[in-house]
Amino acid sequence: MSSPSLDSSRAPGVHEGDGRHRSNDDHTRHDHAGHDHSDAPRGSRRRPAHYLWLVGGIGVLVTMVALRSITAETGPWGLPNPVQDLLTLSTSVVVESLPFIVLGIALSILVQVWIPESWLLRILPRNEWGRRAVISLFGMFLPVCECGNVPLARGLVRRGFTIPESMTFLVAAPILNPVTIITTHQAFGFDDGILVARLLGGFLIANVLGWLFSKHPAPFTLLSGRFAEQCRLDDGHGHTHSRREQTLDLFVRESSILMPALVIGSLVAGGIQVIVPREVLVSLGSDPLLSVLAMMVLAFVISICANVDSFFILPFASTFLPGSIVAFLVFGPIVDIKMLALMRTTYSTRTLVQLTTIVALMSAGLGLVVNYVA
Amino acid sequence: MWRSVQRWRGVVIIGTIAAITLWLAVTGQLALYIHPRYNVFTVTMSIIAVVLAVASVVGRRDHDDEDAPPPRRSQRALGLTAAAIAGLFTLGMVLVPPASLSTATADQREMNATAGGDEASLVAASTADEASIARFTVREWAGILRQTSDLSFFADKPVTDLVGFVIADEDDPENVFYVSRFVVTCCAVDAQPLGVPVHLPGWAATFEPDTWVSVTGDFASNPSSSSLQPVAVIPDTVEPVEQPREPYLF
Repeated sequence: MSSPSLDSSRAPGVHEGDGRHRSNDDHTRHDHAGHDHSDAPRGSRRRPAHYLWLVGGIGVLVTMVALRSITAETGPWGLPNPVQDLLTLSTSVVVESLPFIVLGIALSILVQVWIPESWLLRILPRNEWGRRAVISLFGMFLPVCECGNVPLARGLVRRGFTIPESMTFLVAAPILNPVTIITTHQAFGFDDGILVARLLGGFLIANVLGWLFSKHPAPFTLLSGRFAEQCRLDDGHGHTHSRREQTLDLFVRESSILMPALVIGSLVAGGIQVIVPREVLVSLGSDPLLSVLAMMVLAFVISICANVDSFFILPFASTFLPGSIVAFLVFGPIVDIKMLALMRTTYSTRTLVQLTTIVALMSAGLGLVVNYVA
Repeated sequence: MWRSVQRWRGVVIIGTIAAITLWLAVTGQLALYIHPRYNVFTVTMSIIAVVLAVASVVGRRDHDDEDAPPPRRSQRALGLTAAAIAGLFTLGMVLVPPASLSTATADQREMNATAGGDEASLVAASTADEASIARFTVREWAGILRQTSDLSFFADKPVTDLVGFVIADEDDPENVFYVSRFVVTCCAVDAQPLGVPVHLPGWAATFEPDTWVSVTGDFASNPSSSSLQPVAVIPDTVEPVEQPREPYLF
């Protein structure tokens, strides 16, 4: 599949100048007669409107911050502890993930709008397995943790990568990633083969997953309806927008899709933390099989970033078997509550069920092997 | 209406949350949610998000999506619900004052379950001078208590102004409470409660759980018969204090 979406050979600056909006409108009208918008005169009112929106946008932000400062002074609201903690926990997941989401969207925009398509496709081997192997190492150059990888994977699909390839990237990148490798090494060194098992396991799962899904007869049905729709729209349109417009446009679209998913994922993750006692999981630590399962459930629930999960799990290392730690470190970055919510923006529910099953089985298998061998 | 919500919800949410994050950083309250090592990264990315959000509002224009076929009713309802939940949460971030985690979370997570750095703190404690022992936090004491209950070890090591919030000992809630702090490795989600047991019969008459206190006293054999803690602080003074600016230990 060649990428249809963006024509990078287009000479920059051709559409600059006053006539631009006018011609855009004409173009839209031409293609979609009957779709009547009375925005033709907007071009002439453009400047004042822009200032108005600028003032308005900044005004809203300032109001928010002012409100925030005022209510902070009024002291605690007397919310019941569990409700307050639910808010605190969810907020902490959101605040922790937000910078990665922004970085992910920024890199996605970079890949889709600013980097010539040929660069990305040129470095890839022609052979299918080779391509996926190289793609699973992309994370080494794009050190974003898993939530940021979702917008990036979406960008890659729209840039002409196949859907199984995007999954290989999504699964491998958070683990085969310099930041993750450094933090895992800081936490565990080379003890019990945890670091090596994590890296090899991530690579293996990503490539097997990509291979399995590449056998799918109709890969487009793997996508969620809305995202598939967007990709089709890309196909049909000759784009005539400047890069600046495309940048802002992608920012608007990606944030519109990802932010509700992030918030809802964080709320669910926070809610489960408040409801389920952690002792239930921790008490299962020394059984070879149960410890692996318990750690995978913990990873699923806690929805923590791959870049930092080693520090989180380090204190458990004394009570849990190494295999279960590996299962946590491999399963967590790929599948957890927050990630499922985010991935649902791109892949269909059915795909996610299959993906979760495959990854869970392989992580559990890996954990068991480490438990019995190491 | 639906299209506007669908299109602008993300920009509004990301812009607002990023602005609030910046406000948290400026007022030093980011530590309530994440480890300080991420402050610079978080602030940088929040600034980028605010700039892009404002720029998108300014550079707004009609969009290709407008040409898409109208969505099904169920999809529309789902999209609006998601926007409403996310919007409410964002509003909550704006309106509800930031707070640290409370005893509700501490109850869900086993007290002193983690073992990070215990031995190191024991070794450090056996060679430490008075001044540094006086600076020990809940983290150091909890680590030492996991390693030893030898009373002679604690003989010349008094607890001085140990700050933490009050949480009842589950096994003897009337006579024993913990002076407790959360330890955070990444963000508040992974907070682990650590605590030092204090034996003070009838403490609940003076302090509510969740109150921040400063305890001074000496370790001794725990007089409580039902508490599982062999060693506890017998306090000379327990005074309520303000919550520290950084309530968690990092």
